[in-house]
Amino acid sequence: MHGYDPAFQRAVSEFSGIYYLGAALMNAGAAYYLWQRLHKVRDALVWLAVALLFVVLAAIAQGGSPVGLPKGVQDTLNTIFTGNRGAVIFTVGTFAFLVFLYRFRTFFVRPRVAWTALNLALLYLGLSMTSRPFWEIVAKPDNIPIVALIFLLGFFTWLATYKAVQNDQRAREGLPPLEKEDSEKVLVWPDLVYTELICMLALTAILLFWAILIKAPLEQPASRADTPNPSKAPWYFLGLQEMLVYYDPWMAGVVLPTFIIIGLMALPYIDFNKLGNGYYTIEQRRFSYAMFQIGFLQLWVVLIILGTFLRGPNWNFFGPYEPWDAHKVLVLNNVNLSDYFWIDLMGTSLPKGGTVLGILKREWLGIVLLLGYLVLLPPILAATVFRKFFIKMGFIRYMIMVQLLLWMMLLPIKMVLRWTLNLKYIIAIPEWFFNF
Amino acid sequence: MAADEKKKKKMSVAEILAACRKMDSGQKAESGGGSEAASEPSAAAASQSESPQGEAAQEAAQPASVSKAAKPSSGKRPSVQEILAMARAEKQKKAAGGTEKAAAAAEKSAAKPAAKKPAAKPTAKPKPAPATAEEKPHSSNILAGEETPKKRGPVPKSVLEAARRPARPKEEQPAKAAKPKPVVPPRPTRPPSAKAKAKPDQQRRGFLAVLGAMVATPLGVGFSSLATTMGLWTLGTLRFLFPNVRIEPPSKFKVGSPADYPPGYVETKYKTQYAVWIVNAEYKGQQQIAALSTVCTHLGCTPNWLEAEQKFKCPCHGSGFYINGINFEGPAPRPLERYAIRIAEDGQLEVDKSRKFQEEKGQWEDPDSFVPA
Repeated sequence: MHGYDPAFQRAVSEFSGIYYLGAALMNAGAAYYLWQRLHKVRDALVWLAVALLFVVLAAIAQGGSPVGLPKGVQDTLNTIFTGNRGAVIFTVGTFAFLVFLYRFRTFFVRPRVAWTALNLALLYLGLSMTSRPFWEIVAKPDNIPIVALIFLLGFFTWLATYKAVQNDQRAREGLPPLEKEDSEKVLVWPDLVYTELICMLALTAILLFWAILIKAPLEQPASRADTPNPSKAPWYFLGLQEMLVYYDPWMAGVVLPTFIIIGLMALPYIDFNKLGNGYYTIEQRRFSYAMFQIGFLQLWVVLIILGTFLRGPNWNFFGPYEPWDAHKVLVLNNVNLSDYFWIDLMGTSLPKGGTVLGILKREWLGIVLLLGYLVLLPPILAATVFRKFFIKMGFIRYMIMVQLLLWMMLLPIKMVLRWTLNLKYIIAIPEWFFNF
Repeated sequence: MAADEKKKKKMSVAEILAACRKMDSGQKAESGGGSEAASEPSAAAASQSESPQGEAAQEAAQPASVSKAAKPSSGKRPSVQEILAMARAEKQKKAAGGTEKAAAAAEKSAAKPAAKKPAAKPTAKPKPAPATAEEKPHSSNILAGEETPKKRGPVPKSVLEAARRPARPKEEQPAKAAKPKPVVPPRPTRPPSAKAKAKPDQQRRGFLAVLGAMVATPLGVGFSSLATTMGLWTLGTLRFLFPNVRIEPPSKFKVGSPADYPPGYVETKYKTQYAVWIVNAEYKGQQQIAALSTVCTHLGCTPNWLEAEQKFKCPCHGSGFYINGINFEGPAPRPLERYAIRIAEDGQLEVDKSRKFQEEKGQWEDPDSFVPA
């Protein structure tokens, strides 16, 4: 794509060599642990073999031409994940994948399966590094925390799910949760403080080495006439930036984040389920668990990953191995709902919007839809899906809960509508700076 | 009588306290300043306060403040009269350097020093008998009663009432006057009406005295200067909001003749300095030269002009605008804004950035917002 670049080749070779060696060491350590501590010789041999495979990959990489993902696979992935369709496939796909993981969690939390998945993820990352566009995204100092976040989040989600699955199994057998069984008290000093001290030292060391090894991602001096292209928010705000693409800045920058904060603060008062206090569980708190994971993993973390890896110049969607071309043309001719209704459906021009009545006439469909969503849906849900919740929670708590839920769901709804129908705003009143 | 009351009331608690403190320091340092002159007699008078006379007088005139003077005098406690005299002298001195109101008060007090005391004394003096009842409350206990009314302890109610008197509302006066009778006979001589009348005046004087104390005492000097410094500092900081020179391009500038802008042309060279694109584009069937703002209407980033795609494209959230500034893709809710443009007297185009025209408000119909091409 960019032709042969010796500097790039050298950098990738060096990185891949160390990277694969690290993966090999990780597997060798696991094998040693299994062999010495758990006395599972067969498992130990398997992971030792995997470690040797990584050593071979490391040797090849050090030789100057690391093994890469086949061009065909790269191109396929590019065509799948490019453009608006790519965004739909990515978000819906990750959602389906998370649901799949959730559904078969008893299988996926097994240490053997999880370890295999980790190895596959590492291998995939290593193989992808030979693609220059991918390398430029992943190896950018800005994005290193995001890559670390993916792995760390994977690990912690696995850990929590692992314990929850165990506890649920025990609950089915009538046993108390593991955490209650092992409720031996420990002292703050020295047990806790000592651990904290060690963590503090380790983190300080990591940060020091990080600061020494990786250069700070400084850019050119700021200029109002020259916004960097693409201009990305700090990684932890990429979800917010993604949200801003679909909503008016006033909505996405002020109202929805406020809802997030208020909603999180309201959670303890909304929650009526006394189970799951002090131990991991999924089955005793299905709804809370699912809502939290949708809100956090799907609507925040997945959007961060989307913003990091798939958003390129001019905030267009690019495939993961696609070079960032600032002149890539995507059809994004966004249309308001009122345009759809009046121009496409009724075949007339938009009603004049100078007066309040005119604006209401122009936007009536969107207003009706939104009000229907926020006003009619709660009672309908109370009568059907959330019948039990409504009875247990009472009117006010139920209403707060369901409103927060509906507002949260507005984001994915709007995203999919934008990508599939090019719908810009459901209610568009630029005269009053109110767009929804 | 009312005038006498006034005179007496002039000595507020704060003043007397301040005076006592002065005296203490004078005693310790043995440095006879102007106001410390008053402390000399007090030093000479040894343990006078024990006498019943002193107690009675003290009872009559704001007793709360006396304790401070009595405590640190290391055996040589000044009598109440002395303290009062000294306080008066102090007040006079203060007033001389203070506001004209205080000066007037000082004059008055200097004019009739004799009339002042008798008002209180006669009532108190003739009673050496109740000394047994009043012996305990006379010094530190009174102050304790004044400062923390909760701590009644050994303080008789009457003394407490006397100490709190200035703060009492009017309607409580009769009740109070009734209560202390059994313990302190002198009280009835004070007409309640006079007391009530004197009140607002006393408050004002008290305020002045507090002001004086704020300037005169070392602590007051310290805090006053600190407050002044901080205030000036704040003002100085606020001054930065109004710079002497504002380095901003002028809001009106010339951008060449209309002939420089053929149809479909976008001039980007004014973007850096003036944040303006000059475009010659079609709007509502008319070819117009207009000055477009380079601020994205979504969140304020600066879009780029993409010549090949013939659109302005924002790198932050992907908003796109046609060459005439109309938004067509991405989240931007409204078109780019136009600035006023006209043909100046010399035939050049002149942009005026002080006036904006928004399409969604129908302002692009305004002939000031474009020059027909």
